[in-house]
Amino acid sequence: MSDKRVAQQVADELIDVPPSSAISLQMSVDHYLDVLRGVLDLFASRKEADVIYVTSTISFEAIKRVMEALDIDTSRVYFVDCISHIMMGASSGQTDEHTTLVESPTMLENVMLKVEYLIRLSEAKDKIVVIDSINSLAIHNNNWILSEFLHILVSGLRVRDVYTIILSVEEHSTPEINNMVNLVCDQGIRTGQKED
Amino acid sequence: MAKRSGERARCVTGIEGFDTVLYGGIPRSNTVLLTGSCGTGKTSLALEFLIHGATKGENSLFVSVTENSDKMLANIIPYNFFTDDLVESGKLVFVDLPVMYERLGMTKAELSMEEIDLLVTAIASLARELGTKRLVIDSITSVCYKLKTSEKIRDFVLKLSKALTDIDCTSILVSEVAAQSDSYSMFGVEEAISDGIVLMANMERRGDLLRTLQVIKMRGTMHSRAKYVLDLTPEGVLLVPLLKGGSTRA
Ligand SMILES: Nc1ncnc2c1ncn2[C@@H]1O[C@H](COP(=O)(O)OP(=O)(O)OP(=O)(O)O)[C@@H](O)[C@H]1O
Ligand SMILES: [Mg+2]
Repeated sequence: MSDKRVAQQVADELIDVPPSSAISLQMSVDHYLDVLRGVLDLFASRKEADVIYVTSTISFEAIKRVMEALDIDTSRVYFVDCISHIMMGASSGQTDEHTTLVESPTMLENVMLKVEYLIRLSEAKDKIVVIDSINSLAIHNNNWILSEFLHILVSGLRVRDVYTIILSVEEHSTPEINNMVNLVCDQGIRTGQKED
Repeated sequence: MAKRSGERARCVTGIEGFDTVLYGGIPRSNTVLLTGSCGTGKTSLALEFLIHGATKGENSLFVSVTENSDKMLANIIPYNFFTDDLVESGKLVFVDLPVMYERLGMTKAELSMEEIDLLVTAIASLARELGTKRLVIDSITSVCYKLKTSEKIRDFVLKLSKALTDIDCTSILVSEVAAQSDSYSMFGVEEAISDGIVLMANMERRGDLLRTLQVIKMRGTMHSRAKYVLDLTPEGVLLVPLLKGGSTRA
């Protein structure tokens, strides 16, 4: 499947999803960028939503560079970065009003608090929270606490009519992680093939 | 469920998560001890309580004991919802207790029983004059240092709490404790006679330091007894439940 078609498929499947939905988006490693493009093009550009992007995979600087290289407008993207701190030196530590650092991906409560804070500040009609990714969070947290985190986060976002998208990488996932995600999500999308 | 008759009216703090923990707010006219070690966010939370009150039109009074109020305001987190006209309109008033001691001629290091009465009367009359509905004393521990004996402390807190209840004023008394203390107040007396105890702390979990808040007691209402993790933000104090999953695996 070509790059463009993956981004298009993601956008097509997400376009009619109502706010307050939680969606699991599973992809293979090499579809990562296309999925990113599909999600952000749809929500940040077309729907003019504020995107709260929780990254525990790579630093916000790296992901921002990637987005800019893909010609994605990042002016509506707010980062909650929980990886830069523990990768000391991997990032300049320079943040702006679009970025909040959480000291460690094990401080899941603080991730929720920063997300809550950004939602309060946002004046956009539509808001979306992207978790990138459940697999990298699973490296740092046990499944019990991660599951509790997802449950509290998603139910909090639902009542505020905020979309949640939980990214997972097929090659790094386990049946336990998939179950945990499916438990809180209304819909699952897998790139390359359709899932009910 | 029907409201039981006799259910106490609430002082809705305006701190969303905190009101939820308290099933709607602090029962009105309660005197609450807000206790914690240094830097845990006591002053921030207490001030936010007053700002929300003043914004809703309830006259609010901050009695500063430890540091002068200008200095306190300069160092506190700048709240997005704080406006100078709350102060200019007199809805939010700051008073420095050392100035009050001076006016009352209380220059000695230790206050006598008579002086305690005088101090309580002075604070209560000020609150009455200003029509204060929300009051904060930051900190009560500093006042207690001038009282020395537990008998005097008990006398002071009881009388103050009674005087404030009489004018239907909901109060937060900030209390300082040592970080590893298992008591809720420095002298052990304050906690026994207050209507409520809210504990703010730093909690270590596998090397991470989290700020927590827990309501230990609150007369006149049901409340959550769970620990919450908090963040001090320009939008105010935010709370989320402490996740428990991690405690099963160290
Ligand atoms: N502008 C700010 N932005 C974010 N956090 C701030 C800011 N100003 C202060 N803080 C945080 O607030 C904390 C202090 O909060 P606060 O003064 O309310 O605590 P406290 O319990 O009253 O402390 P103390 O025992 O010193 O009186 C500081 O440790 C700091 O982390
Ligand atoms: Mg203080």
